[in-house]
Amino acid sequence: MDNYYLLGIFAAMGVATFITRAVPFVALAKIHRHPLLDRFGQLLPPMIMVVLVCFGLTSLDIESVNRVGLTVLSLAIVIALHYFFRNPLLSIVAGTGIYVIGVQGVGF
Amino acid sequence: MSYSVASDFSEALRDSAPVMFGYIPLGMAFGVLFQSLGYHWLFAPLAGLVIYAGSAQFMAVGLLATGVSYAEAFIATLVLNSRHIFYGLSVLSRYPERGLSRWYLIFGLTDETYSLITAKPSESSVNARYYLCLTSLNQSYWVIGCALGASLQSFFAFDSRGFEFALVALFLVLLIEQVRTMSERWLLVAALGASISAYVLTPNQFLLVAIGLCLAVLIVRVRSGGVNG
Repeated sequence: MDNYYLLGIFAAMGVATFITRAVPFVALAKIHRHPLLDRFGQLLPPMIMVVLVCFGLTSLDIESVNRVGLTVLSLAIVIALHYFFRNPLLSIVAGTGIYVIGVQGVGF
Repeated sequence: MSYSVASDFSEALRDSAPVMFGYIPLGMAFGVLFQSLGYHWLFAPLAGLVIYAGSAQFMAVGLLATGVSYAEAFIATLVLNSRHIFYGLSVLSRYPERGLSRWYLIFGLTDETYSLITAKPSESSVNARYYLCLTSLNQSYWVIGCALGASLQSFFAFDSRGFEFALVALFLVLLIEQVRTMSERWLLVAALGASISAYVLTPNQFLLVAIGLCLAVLIVRVRSGGVNG
């Protein structure tokens, strides 16, 4: 366990995060809002979210048919709950809870 | 009109309550996952202090487990958080023009803080002190959550298998929120195609390639005219 390595990674990620948040304040403050840029701002974030959902899925250990079923079930629960109740905490906790129970308790 | 620090603080406390209920359990999930790496639990709240980005911190657990380089961590975080570039656009005019508080407010502009700030009418009497209270309250919820999850896990060592699904659920919820107001939903299918292609072709550079493909599709779409959708 190399603590300095960990701190280095934290620093790299902290700086990168700050840069993404500061760019519009530093660079775009002076230029006029461009309609194309607005268009990107509307359409790119949901596309990135699709990619991030897939990224999250690749980090799960989906090695069995049962696990595929459990993952699909948990995803469906998140979608259904969020569609009807629109409460992020409820959706995340319920979906994760089902997944954790499936992995640990039922042994999928 | 807000007249005192106390009234700004209590208003921020009230407004930030939903974020508290989201950040503490989610921060705990991060803390629990982080402990699987074997570092001291105090590093989990430290991550919440210096990185302060939920999705990036969850990604960090995966990256650290594979011994990622500093440069890779830096670039992956830039790509992951690039959506924030578009958030800043809509809060530009609300923030103070200079000073340390301006930079802290920018540092703390998370998805949730952004949504609370943009929910306030911009013409209202809300002042910089209110934004400062709101942003620091949100970050303290997050840091407390990280500390709770990691310390509980280090003292009791409960089974954390399956907690990694919290990341997928978080992204899915953010996606559903954005789809509600999206005009061209075929782009989501394109993004799914980009993800599958990246996974098949370059699994080690998944994020970079998938987002690059998305950008390419979007540039072609926007340049082909019919910008109003």
